[in-house]
Amino acid sequence: MKILVCVKQVPDMASSVTINAEGVWYVDEGLAFRLNEYDEYAVEEAVQLKEQLGGEPDLTILSIGPGRVKEAMRRAMAMGADRGVHIVDDEYYKKDSHQIASMIADFAKDKDFDLVFTGMQSQDRGSGQVGPAIAAQLDYACVTTLVGFEYEDGKITATRELEGGLHAKVKLAAPAVVTCQLGMNTPRYPTLPNIMKVKKKELLEFSPDDFASGDALVVTESMYVPEKKGAGLVLEGDAGEVAGKLLDVLKEKTSIVK
Amino acid sequence: MEATREIYWNVGHGVVPIMYVLAVLAVAFLAWGFYRRIRVYRRGRPVDRLANLGGRVSRLLVNSLGQVKVMKVRLPGITHASFFWGFLVLFIGTLLVMVQADLMDPFFDTIFLKGDFYRGFSLVLDIAGLVAIIALVGLLVRRFVVRPDGLDTTKDDYIMHGFLLTILITGFVIEGARMAVTELDAAPELARYSPVGLVFAHALYGLGKSSLQSLHKVLWWVHLVLAVGFIASIPLTKFRHMFTTSANYLFSDLGEKGVMSTMDLEDEEAEQFGAAELEHLTWKDVFDGDACTVCKRCQDRCPAYRTEKPLSPMRVVLQLEEAAFRGSEATLIEDVGSDVLWSCTTCRACEEICPAEIEHLDKILEMRRNLVLMEGEFPGEEVTMAVNNVEVNGNPFGLAFATRGDWAEETDMVLMSEDSEVDVLYFPGCYASFDSRNQAVARSFARICSAAGLKVGILGGEEKCCGEPLRKLGNEYLYQAVAAENIEKFQKYGVTKIVTTCPHCFNTLGRDYRDLGLEVEVEHYTLFLDRLLRDGSLELEAQPFDFTYHDSCYIGRYRDIMDAPRQVLQATGGRITEMDASRYESFCCGGGGGLVLAEEKTGRRINVERVGMAQETGTSTLVSNCPFCLSMFDDGVKAAEADLQARDLAEIVEERLKT
Repeated sequence: MKILVCVKQVPDMASSVTINAEGVWYVDEGLAFRLNEYDEYAVEEAVQLKEQLGGEPDLTILSIGPGRVKEAMRRAMAMGADRGVHIVDDEYYKKDSHQIASMIADFAKDKDFDLVFTGMQSQDRGSGQVGPAIAAQLDYACVTTLVGFEYEDGKITATRELEGGLHAKVKLAAPAVVTCQLGMNTPRYPTLPNIMKVKKKELLEFSPDDFASGDALVVTESMYVPEKKGAGLVLEGDAGEVAGKLLDVLKEKTSIVK
Repeated sequence: MEATREIYWNVGHGVVPIMYVLAVLAVAFLAWGFYRRIRVYRRGRPVDRLANLGGRVSRLLVNSLGQVKVMKVRLPGITHASFFWGFLVLFIGTLLVMVQADLMDPFFDTIFLKGDFYRGFSLVLDIAGLVAIIALVGLLVRRFVVRPDGLDTTKDDYIMHGFLLTILITGFVIEGARMAVTELDAAPELARYSPVGLVFAHALYGLGKSSLQSLHKVLWWVHLVLAVGFIASIPLTKFRHMFTTSANYLFSDLGEKGVMSTMDLEDEEAEQFGAAELEHLTWKDVFDGDACTVCKRCQDRCPAYRTEKPLSPMRVVLQLEEAAFRGSEATLIEDVGSDVLWSCTTCRACEEICPAEIEHLDKILEMRRNLVLMEGEFPGEEVTMAVNNVEVNGNPFGLAFATRGDWAEETDMVLMSEDSEVDVLYFPGCYASFDSRNQAVARSFARICSAAGLKVGILGGEEKCCGEPLRKLGNEYLYQAVAAENIEKFQKYGVTKIVTTCPHCFNTLGRDYRDLGLEVEVEHYTLFLDRLLRDGSLELEAQPFDFTYHDSCYIGRYRDIMDAPRQVLQATGGRITEMDASRYESFCCGGGGGLVLAEEKTGRRINVERVGMAQETGTSTLVSNCPFCLSMFDDGVKAAEADLQARDLAEIVEERLKT
């Protein structure tokens, strides 16, 4: 069995973002990067499946992005993958979801992956399209926003999270692409022996030119911080102080208190 | 007639060969017993504990013969010491008798137990016997009648008290019987030098000579058999502590206290990190289990145990001994249990008080290393998240690393990236950088430095967590990673002197980083301020206030810094009322050992417990010197609804700066 997990490295959401000169993406400076949270669930689920099947499945981590991406890949590999595939692309952000998915599909097309795991979306672009687009191009079945996953003899039983607190149970057969949602599992903390083993694992590098990405279907016009409209206000201090401040706000901005 | 007595009176010299055969057998059994135990100790990894042997031997002599550490806890300690000295004198006395009767007299025709020396000898031995009996009865009453909480009594304790008491009492009865026959009438002047024996002699006198002789003969044999049995029982019972506890002084860790070993993470062949089994610990760790006297002093002082958490440091040590000598189906770490391991705040109260110099902490920390590095296990999800936050943003809060220096915006602190020509580098650490309560402390400290005319630098966004909580949680890998980044920054700016407001940063930067290649002077701000006040660089206007002071573990017990902060606070005009648990007996705030990042899920809350102790002083202010303590006490005061303010020493000083 062969499993592919597609991961992305994203900025940590605590950092404030500066827009780049082209006005279509953020600049790296001042940002801390990490493995996309949803992809972490994908890696964990894939590793759990590998363990369930006695370690037989061959697990590949794939990521597209600049050199720094390797850090997130190593983290994912330390969780229990067999190898990494890094498509080194400094201009990754100029490609739309269709192009990213095309590159991945082009890489995967002759490799007979039984399962492709990925996050339901990235924490930065957030299109939620890459997973389904890979499935479309590979002609695989696809289920999204999974919070539960079971596998037996090529059959998948998955639990999807729907809007409004509903869940849906679906069945499908491999080969398939599944995208993972928060709550699916608790990603493991990599053990030191596994971190050390990563050094000896294969981490293949490819150029974006090695794969057909096609033309962009969606072009980002601009990226910007929306104008602030009545942002929340946090009052700090002890109870008396906070009450005083609240009273001032009410006096100033409303007609409740005069 | 010269004062002396006939050795082997009534039993005759014929007993000598039998006596020596028995004695040799007993000693051989003792040696064999320890030989078997030594084989078990050696299951642990090797570690050199014999370097600097001279110093070790004197340490052994002072602590075992002097009973120094034993007496740290007054009443039971002095009682034990009295018994020990009494019994030791009796043992030496018995040896002297043997030397004279079986060596000097038969082979060199010399008798030294005579005249004034014999009188003194008699008197000293009699008093020693009396002291030993009184002390032993005291200990017996404590153990079997008073029964202090947590003092476990086992079969060994019955055997030991039984042996010792009967040996001592039969000794006096034998003496009394002999004196009744040979001294009461014949040498009453000499009998006065055996005052206790004399009492027994008078009591027995009425039995008549032949009964006394029979009694004497029977008891002489009983006494001999008991003595021989006592020696043979040493390796089989807790009696072995006479050897193992003493030996533990010899094998003591002579390095600085509270320093963990730095793991070699470059070793690609390594497959085991930390300790899951006995074999992963050192022979000294196994030996410690045998050196434990089960005195429970560690347990009495353990903040986890005292707030009903599953940890007792004594139990951990004993579990190691059990695993070593009795074996177990489970692994050592399973026997101990991760909930036990995660309860430790690494406050060092256990090691500080242990009369056997047992190293509790290393065992717990080595097992934690196994949990984290081999199993990826932390005390809770909130801790895993905090650790991941350190990995990503260099602080456990998960706040943007680039904003780390924002607290200093309105201070005179200079960013090293802009100007590295400074008098000293201030390393605020994560709490003073990000936690609003502790940011106030950092700003106070900054204003104090300005008042002292010092140019102080900070790394700002280039600083990372010092790694201490990670390390104490067992995550040596991430600790070494963040440490390497900090060290690189220190070296980049040619930093030679660092001051911290955090005791954890202080120990880590100043001591732990040495193993990673950093040699730089690091000072905790309590010492720093004390120095500035003494050399006149800093002037204060004293304003009186009442306070109690909390010795943080990592300044107090770890580094013996107890007077400097008190001097500084005295200079501010404060009047101190000490808590009972102060200085070396200080009670942890609950935040050490990385637990400041963890939710306290079991038992009562340690910080509330400590706030309660502060309240008992009747003062209105609880002053501490550590960001973890301040956070814990702030929460504790709220939870206890205490009429008390938790303040940091820097805040008190800053309010009294002469302007």
